[in-house]
Amino acid sequence: MSLLELKNVSKIYGELKALDNVNIHVDQGEWVAIMGPSGSGKSTMMNIIGCMDKPTSGEVLLDGVDISKESSRKLTDIRRDKIGLIFQQFHMVGYLTAVENVMVSQYYHSMPDEEEALEALGRVGLRERARHLPSQLSGGEQQRVCVARALINHPELILADEPTGNLDEANENIVLDLFAQLHKEGTTLIVVTHDPEVAEAAQRTIVLEHGRVAREIINENFGKS
Amino acid sequence: MTKRRMFLRMVTASLLRRRSRMLIALLSIGIGSTILAGLVTIYVDVPRQMGAQFRSYGANMLLLPKEDGTLNRESLQAALNTIPADSLVGAAPYCYTRLDMTSRQQSFTAAGTDFDQIQKTSPYFSVEGNYPAKSREILVGREIAETIGVKTGSDMVLTWQPGTTSGSGAADGGRLPGSVLSGQAEGFGGGMVYVTASLDKESRIASLTADTSSQTPEIGGAVPENESFMEQFAGMTLPVRPEDVDVVSGATVTSTAIVNALNTAVATTTAVRPKTLNFNVAGILTTGGEEEGYVFLSLEDMETMTGSDRLDVAELSISASAGQLEEYAELIGESSDSVQARLVKRVTRSEASVLEKLTGLVFLVTLVVLLLTMICVSTTMTAVVSERRREIGLRKALGASDGSIRAEFLGEGLFLGLLGGVMGAVLGFAFAQAVSVHVFGSSIMFQPLLLPAAILVSMTIAALSCLLPIRRAVAIDPALVLKGE
Ligand SMILES: Nc1ncnc2c1ncn2[C@@H]1O[C@H](COP(=O)(O)OP(=O)(O)O)[C@@H](O)[C@H]1O
Ligand SMILES: [Mg+2]
Repeated sequence: MSLLELKNVSKIYGELKALDNVNIHVDQGEWVAIMGPSGSGKSTMMNIIGCMDKPTSGEVLLDGVDISKESSRKLTDIRRDKIGLIFQQFHMVGYLTAVENVMVSQYYHSMPDEEEALEALGRVGLRERARHLPSQLSGGEQQRVCVARALINHPELILADEPTGNLDEANENIVLDLFAQLHKEGTTLIVVTHDPEVAEAAQRTIVLEHGRVAREIINENFGKS
Repeated sequence: MTKRRMFLRMVTASLLRRRSRMLIALLSIGIGSTILAGLVTIYVDVPRQMGAQFRSYGANMLLLPKEDGTLNRESLQAALNTIPADSLVGAAPYCYTRLDMTSRQQSFTAAGTDFDQIQKTSPYFSVEGNYPAKSREILVGREIAETIGVKTGSDMVLTWQPGTTSGSGAADGGRLPGSVLSGQAEGFGGGMVYVTASLDKESRIASLTADTSSQTPEIGGAVPENESFMEQFAGMTLPVRPEDVDVVSGATVTSTAIVNALNTAVATTTAVRPKTLNFNVAGILTTGGEEEGYVFLSLEDMETMTGSDRLDVAELSISASAGQLEEYAELIGESSDSVQARLVKRVTRSEASVLEKLTGLVFLVTLVVLLLTMICVSTTMTAVVSERRREIGLRKALGASDGSIRAEFLGEGLFLGLLGGVMGAVLGFAFAQAVSVHVFGSSIMFQPLLLPAAILVSMTIAALSCLLPIRRAVAIDPALVLKGE
């Protein structure tokens, strides 16, 4: 069953076509990697899928709903209810502790629940560091908190924009393991990456070039290693 | 955990953990609130403060005898009792007369008064030397001192001539209520007959004594012992008509002489002896006014010279608003049948206008401080918002609605306002107290309402100052977090 469908989506900034007639289809529960050189439109596409931006033209169907023409208020509701976001720069609220950062996501979604937030931190192996401020955590630990924050509301779709771009090998593996677990639980994952190793962990890789889908690669080895 | 608790946790964490910026915002609100609370306290207290200050400009109420009443120490004290003791700054009695300095053939206006009170009601009086402290010491106006060349320490011999008493009683020849009159008239065989009569409050004869020692013993000489003759004068008013008097048979001439003596006592009062005393000049008075042409002596010395305790006027200095003064004046007029009060309009009016200007100024400064505080807080909050762009974008990306962002910033603003308000009330009172002590020389009372008022005002300021920054916060694009700005 299809969760996400982009039909002839374009995003144009003046003369520049950041996305040029893109057609993509992602099934429920699928794990997709998006690759491409810098400036090829990956982040632009993530913004549109993540309900933070609207395409200049084309349709974006998320769970059967066309989000390309929704009001920004409605987009906020959809993003909150269906999407978990992970960023390259592992953005955290600097003055809140790890567990509080996870609870912020709960707060906007429904109800803050410290127990549940601590459990989520436990899942990313940071239960002991729950009371630390971001400045007291390493980059890898911060990104793991962000993963915990993204999964806390059980979103249907997790969008990660170069989640391992700033991580060392060990933390990269932890994050990829977490993605694999989430995938097993049925969560749909779309991961933007530069790193072929990260792309190889996914079921399918979509390659963008100059705002267009250049090719798609099915990972034949998925689930074997 | 409820949403509200999480909200409070985020708001307080933002203020307590990211100190630097918020400290500046808190400081600007706190200082603004401090100055405001201080100014308002002074503003509220200024009329009271200035009321006391204004008393240095002199008396603002006069007490005068009513048309048919007498002003003396008792009636003055009775009138003063109707004014609250703590607002009565001073009450200086005055009794005016003319005194002669025979050696120089000069005559001056002399005022009997209370020097302690004068210093309170007329603090602008400037004395070279000292205020008189003992009896037989006088204060001489500069004009007189220069004319006759006396200095502090000089002696002055002054004489009081009967019939020179000024004031309300002078017009009817010294026939003053409560006074004692003496007179003389020619009796039988050219001998003089002397009488002394005392008058009651209504100027009726209260008692009468006669000296007929120059008359024939047993006849004219015995008239003063004749009780029915002497007592018939009681209650009569002067002049006594001869046909109203039953004369002592056999002593008609002496009896008639007593009546004549009584009536002439009124017309000439020559029977009251002039009084001469030797005074020592304690000080020379400079006022810039007519008082420089006066000689001041104590009420006791004045009484010794004139034999009367009559007062012409009392100058009162009262620390009160114009409205209260009018109330006091009315009260005195109603409660006393001998004394009336009048306001010194020149003083009360200029007090009111100075007060108006001063409160106007404080109001203006308050307004300016209010505005400055708002600009400062608003600028700081705007800086805070741009500093926190990423965080705001992140919150929005995590699903925060515009309303949530508004609520969070407003919450932080109100929390700042609360802290600033408490700080303002406490420090503001200290500030007002310091100003009051240094400028006005008196302390002020803490207004319990100041705390909630300061909190309310500074929370309002904080909320208003946050409006523009919040609009900027709401306008932030969540997409910026993905762009890695
Ligand atoms: N808001 C914008 N205004 C103008 N140009 C933009 C904007 N956002 C992205 N672009 C441009 O669109 C192109 C695609 O950008 P982006 O999606 O960030 O690329 P990627 O994430 O693949 O590196 C780039 O050339 C970039 O400069
Ligand atoms: Mg990018």
